[in-house]
Amino acid sequence: MADIPSIASSVPSLKQHLEAHRYICSDQIATAVYLAYHLRKPVLIEGPPGVGKTELAKTTAEMFELPLIRLQCYEGLDEAKALYEWKYGKQLLYTQVLKQALDEVLQGAKGFAESVKRLHEFGDIFFSEEFLEARPLLKALREEHGCVLLIDEVDKSDHEFESLLLELLSDYQVSIPEIGTVKARHTPPLVFLTSNNTREISDALKRRCLHLYIPFPDIALEQRIVKARVPEIAPQLREQLVRFIHDLRELDLKKVPSISETIDWARTLLLLHADRLDPELVRNTMNVILKFQEDIESVQPEVRGLTDKATRS
Amino acid sequence: MDQLLTNFIRALRNADVRISPAETLDAFSTVQLVGYRNRQLLKDSLALVLPKTSDEKAAFDTCFDQFFSFRERSRLPSSGAPGTDASTTADDDGAQPGNADAGGSGDSQGRRTGRGQGPGAAAQVTREDAGGAESLGIGEISAARSALGQLLTRASTIEINLAISAAGQQVNVHRIELFTQKGLYTRRILDAMGHTELQQEIFTLTASDAIPDRRLAQDLGRRRDWLHERIRDYVEHQFLLHADVTGRRLRESLLRNLRLSTLEQRHHRLLHDIVHRMARKLVTAYSRRRKVFRRGQLHVPRTLRRNLKYDDAIFDLHWKSVKTDQPKVFAICDVSGSVANYARFMLMFLYSLEEVLPKVRSFAFSSDLGEVSDLFARNDIDDAIALALRQYGNGSTDYGQALADFRKLCLDEIDKRSTVIILGDARNNYGDARTDVLKEIYDRARRVIWLNPESRPAWNTGDSEMRHYAPYCHQVDECGTLTQLERVVSRLLQSQR
Repeated sequence: MADIPSIASSVPSLKQHLEAHRYICSDQIATAVYLAYHLRKPVLIEGPPGVGKTELAKTTAEMFELPLIRLQCYEGLDEAKALYEWKYGKQLLYTQVLKQALDEVLQGAKGFAESVKRLHEFGDIFFSEEFLEARPLLKALREEHGCVLLIDEVDKSDHEFESLLLELLSDYQVSIPEIGTVKARHTPPLVFLTSNNTREISDALKRRCLHLYIPFPDIALEQRIVKARVPEIAPQLREQLVRFIHDLRELDLKKVPSISETIDWARTLLLLHADRLDPELVRNTMNVILKFQEDIESVQPEVRGLTDKATRS
Repeated sequence: MDQLLTNFIRALRNADVRISPAETLDAFSTVQLVGYRNRQLLKDSLALVLPKTSDEKAAFDTCFDQFFSFRERSRLPSSGAPGTDASTTADDDGAQPGNADAGGSGDSQGRRTGRGQGPGAAAQVTREDAGGAESLGIGEISAARSALGQLLTRASTIEINLAISAAGQQVNVHRIELFTQKGLYTRRILDAMGHTELQQEIFTLTASDAIPDRRLAQDLGRRRDWLHERIRDYVEHQFLLHADVTGRRLRESLLRNLRLSTLEQRHHRLLHDIVHRMARKLVTAYSRRRKVFRRGQLHVPRTLRRNLKYDDAIFDLHWKSVKTDQPKVFAICDVSGSVANYARFMLMFLYSLEEVLPKVRSFAFSSDLGEVSDLFARNDIDDAIALALRQYGNGSTDYGQALADFRKLCLDEIDKRSTVIILGDARNNYGDARTDVLKEIYDRARRVIWLNPESRPAWNTGDSEMRHYAPYCHQVDECGTLTQLERVVSRLLQSQR
């Protein structure tokens, strides 16, 4: 069991532990986790794709040694898939059983009133926790020792779903009409929401969350990230490729390469036993960092210049 | 300390960062947790709690630096004569008895962060000039006579701050509204503090023969410069707290109701913001998509679920439903000189509504018509508009030709879900109006809307063909100002539901 309070005692300590789990981050990010833990507030993480939004939640779970419960959002996601569902099959069986048992229960009952009375005495478990199929959100609330709940790409879901989240995010509870309110067991979950900004999240949701924006890292930070993720790569090559990627981000591209692409590229170059960047190598491996043909074509003529610039030090 | 945070939040609100009371409470608990001691940590933490978009974060950054740098910097420059006030200056690091000039200026220079650099550097130059003109060294110094001079030489920072605040109250600095008033209020506060007398005294002292007098003149000059800066900061701070937003609101409400063609280039940035905000409002109002029930297809799981309570007797049926397709909008814009500005804002509006109107196709013409949707897909909105104007903006207006071109391009794609918006003044230079084409479009489309930027009385005068086009439109509207434009777009969205 990880000693969560001591890990989360200060921002530097959190940063250090995150780094120990190979998540290199800025102070801002560590502060977000710090506040999320101490204020018990969900964190809404925004930023360009591939800067490690989801990774932060995963690493936090790993660091605190808590289970990670993940809910991937998509259009049409509703409460039956996110919150709870009744186990229909079992409920059907139960009614069958009940039918047979009913005769025994009602045996000797005089009149309608008494029958109803006896029925009431007979425990009603039809809508009870036994038949409740917990989906991620409910599961997260019922975790005994707390957990990390990751609600991924919340911008992909519908507005209705956002409203559904509000109760959960502000009070760590959900209301199930047939049963009542389910509150978080002892420790409420640590909630992370990520968004790619395909649509604006409603103010009501934003108000309930801490808002963390993760931008692309600066050169030094990205170098450390690559070092942590691909430790085998030669320092010289690492320096060059990070600089190359940074120059690439300056260009007008449909999709600029993100950190995950930098890491992929580093792995690729490692596999090819490269020790320095050269235009030929870059051209051959370009499809690792650029994901649109259009972008590849527009960068092609620039490759030599960019490579020269990156290798000059 | 709570007062400090409330003030900061007020300044933030003035800088257009929206902060709810709930967030204010969060900020308080955050500050309780992290404290004020570590500046960077405080900034990082509050940046997570208060601003919620990247725009707001940028505003927060500048606001935080401004707000807290004001409190941190500015102590009195150390005096030329250590004997007189070494005990009263709060400096503990910069006072070098041997060289007053270097000590004083270096010290205040070192404390200065970011914004203060300009005036600070200037102040230093004047000081050095004074020093260069006459090096008097240290020694005996006269006593100041004017009230302000005495205050400055006595000089505890607190006392001076109090005096500045009092003078500020006296001249009603909290009424400051526009940034152009900063200079005015600075001057008024200086006057209220007796600046004129001080000036006079310095003047006389400089002309004096006695070295201690001249020494005092230099010292007072230095202190006066410092005071200037201090007051400028004070006014800046008051402005941050009280003004900004009122002035801005005033400008915004004016701009909303001004005819778009009369607007100048420099307002475009602000207008862009307004349009964006209006659009956001519309998006939130209309983004909920209507469900259409597909009668006849049973939603089996849901039906079973809902009927369990009736012991499997299925009488409450549920049907599958689909969401409606979003509407298609064709926007045809006259981009010839007179109407170009209107086209610009309408296109801006339509493309800011991407979430509720994802299928906008836009066409631009003056004589020939061409599709410009691609320009908008690839460039940001300002560039796209500029490109469209350059490509199609010259040539005399010919509505007949444009309609015919449009017909050729995409008449087939217009169906019962399409809305066609035509923006133009319908001034056809007495050419063939080709109302037959418009009729054809009218018959196919769900709605044809004609937006005319001219005011109604001007329609049908001269070469305007409005009366010929109007019968083939579902709706004809005037759209001279942003408010009118907003109304039109909102009605468009309403009719799509």
